[in-house]
Amino acid sequence: MTLASMQSVLKRYGSCAALDYIDLEIHEGEIVGLLGPNGAGKTTLIQALTGILPVDQGRISLFGDSRNPFSDANKQKLGLVTQEIAVFEELTAKEGLEFFAGIYGLRREEKKKRVAEALEFVGLSAYANKVPHKFSGGMKRRLNIACALTHRPRLLIMDEPTVGIDPQSRNHILESVQKLREQGTTILYTTHYMEEVQEIASRVVILDQGQVVKEGTVQQLIETVRHEETIIFDVADPLGIPLRQVESIAGVRQVSVSGSRITVISAAGAGNLDRILSVVQQHSGVLGIQADKPNLEDVFLTLTGKQLRDREGSR
Amino acid sequence: MTIFYFTLKRSFANLANLIFLTAAPIACIFLPAGEGWPPLAYGYAYFGIVILFVAIRLAQIMMEDRVKGILKRLSVAPVRYFSYLGQHLLAYAVILILQSAVVVLGGWIAGQELHRPWALFALYVSFSFAALAMALAWISVFRSKDAAFLFYMSLIVLAALLGGIILPLEIFPDLLRRIAVILPTFWFAEGLKSIASAQPFADNVRINATLCLYALVFLVLGSTRRMQ
Amino acid sequence: MRVLSTLRFTLLRLMRNYIVLLLLLAVPIALLTVFSVILSGMVDEAGRPYFDQTALTMVLAFQLFGGSTVMSYLNEDLFARNRERMTVAPFNRTLYAFSILLAGSAFSFLLGAAIMAYTRLVLGLVWANWGWTLYLIALMAVLSSIVCVIFVCGVKSFSTAERLSEVYGVGFVLLAGLFFPMPQHAVFEFMGSYGNPLTLSVGAVRAVEIGNWNEAWFQANIVLAAIGFLFPVMLVMGRRRLR
Repeated sequence: MTLASMQSVLKRYGSCAALDYIDLEIHEGEIVGLLGPNGAGKTTLIQALTGILPVDQGRISLFGDSRNPFSDANKQKLGLVTQEIAVFEELTAKEGLEFFAGIYGLRREEKKKRVAEALEFVGLSAYANKVPHKFSGGMKRRLNIACALTHRPRLLIMDEPTVGIDPQSRNHILESVQKLREQGTTILYTTHYMEEVQEIASRVVILDQGQVVKEGTVQQLIETVRHEETIIFDVADPLGIPLRQVESIAGVRQVSVSGSRITVISAAGAGNLDRILSVVQQHSGVLGIQADKPNLEDVFLTLTGKQLRDREGSR
Repeated sequence: MTIFYFTLKRSFANLANLIFLTAAPIACIFLPAGEGWPPLAYGYAYFGIVILFVAIRLAQIMMEDRVKGILKRLSVAPVRYFSYLGQHLLAYAVILILQSAVVVLGGWIAGQELHRPWALFALYVSFSFAALAMALAWISVFRSKDAAFLFYMSLIVLAALLGGIILPLEIFPDLLRRIAVILPTFWFAEGLKSIASAQPFADNVRINATLCLYALVFLVLGSTRRMQ
Repeated sequence: MRVLSTLRFTLLRLMRNYIVLLLLLAVPIALLTVFSVILSGMVDEAGRPYFDQTALTMVLAFQLFGGSTVMSYLNEDLFARNRERMTVAPFNRTLYAFSILLAGSAFSFLLGAAIMAYTRLVLGLVWANWGWTLYLIALMAVLSSIVCVIFVCGVKSFSTAERLSEVYGVGFVLLAGLFFPMPQHAVFEFMGSYGNPLTLSVGAVRAVEIGNWNEAWFQANIVLAAIGFLFPVMLVMGRRRLR
């Protein structure tokens, strides 16, 4: 089932299109990673999708409802983790969660239970009776997430939830996101940290300058981009390696030597590592191998660079 | 003198500050005189309270620097802390001295009875130094700009009342009159009385020297705790 | 019910806001204590202690500043930090704003009542009519909250709204002639009497002390009328801002 969709959504600020006829669908059960640099339109997209920001054109649908997508019934199934930490500094962690649980209609025992669960989920049970202004940045971020979980939303939108926090807290958050998906929550996760999306997203949408540049699974995105693998060999006798023989292997684009290192650039997916290794091993001892496979960062840089130039050429 | 120049700019950059720094002294010029008390027109007594407020509002600029991490950035720059502090205080002092000049000169032009304008100006200047030093000492203790300002505002009202600016000290019980002596606002009120009653010049010098002593004490307190 | 569930938390936030407690409780208590010592034994021509008038004026004057917390919480929850979360939540934000207004006014009223109790129990001040004075305190608290809500909804910048609320409070205190006499001019005379909620509420309490209930109701009803007039203004501006 499609939980949320945007069709030809346009949002302008003056002459600048923050969302430029965006089409997007979020299906039940997936973690959609929304990737884009600063200014790409990620936060604007989220604000439009949640009704915080009105759009100039286009259709937005939530939980199959395009007539009144932002009704209370739909909002009840939606959770938002804001980019800015939005917690009550004067209330304890537990009280703050009780506040939000209350406005989502939870009462008495159910409310207590869900608040305790949310605190447990984000690892803040021990700090339930402490006020947030004494928390570290990572703990505040986790509390910020917990505020969106008490009502068990079907669709959870997380706007850069790991900004400015330590690696330990970040890992905790990423694990929590995966746990949520296992529990049946659909998640839209925006970030500009590619490794996060690579780790958790079942589908990736790349956004740049208000447009969806590409979308697909991580693997699909990597495969659609013509890119290269870089294999670096640390060898005992670099001068003994027949470079022409290595260059003649199909798919090898470039071979270079620097000190004891031989760098081979080969087409991605050519599976040349074995072939190159056997040639190198015949003529020298191999002290170490490093193979850089293409990743989402390469995909993003390639897509946003090449595609934009192509688009400008075709206008 | 980069810091000095930019401090002056920042002091007037905020619209509320701009209005307060320009309108308040001008308003003081035109307040009426009382019958018998205060010794000068109301505005010239209440200008002491204005000085206290202006001093804390200006000093908040330094507090902002600490809270926003600018002070940390400056600490790794080739700028000594005392140079930073000195240039800030100099800028604030210039603003307060200018305000004092406007009030005294404006009053003289408007025909207010100032008795001894030069002595009044000197009193305002020495009270300004004391006010700045107190504000500096105050903000060095606080981490929150709002809390510092609101607490200080409460203290100003009490100090003005107990020092004899809002009500004449003569009606106070003996105990309160003795306690009042420790307050800088008491010396300010005494200075006004001395000017209005044409006391000897040495009396004015003594009062101004006492206010400068307050300035020195609070300055030492405020600058040794380096706002880190 | 959802909005009702937030009332507890709004009150908790108010009670833990030590700055508000300092400004609206500790400072007036300190000032009243000092005034009671200074003015102890002093009476006016009619034989009434000066301190009575001072205490009454001060209790009501501090209500002029009671709307600042309402303003601050509205801004924080609906226009600034919590804006997105509150917009996405399935509850009535207009009602929530209203609940903050009520809670803030009630809190300000309670602080005023606490100050009254302090003057009675500690300073020995005898209030002529507790009920009537509390009624005027309540009117002032509500008026101040409504005015502050109008400011925060009417101007985009919160700091401008804060400055306006200060002008409202300090302005009416000055116009009441408490610090220095106002010029002899019709406008100033009006703003120092029937155009000033502080002088109106003080006048209403004073009128009851001398048994003049007609005048007391007249002055109190002017304050009530101001509330009645400003309330729909607040509703319109609030709705517009929340859209």
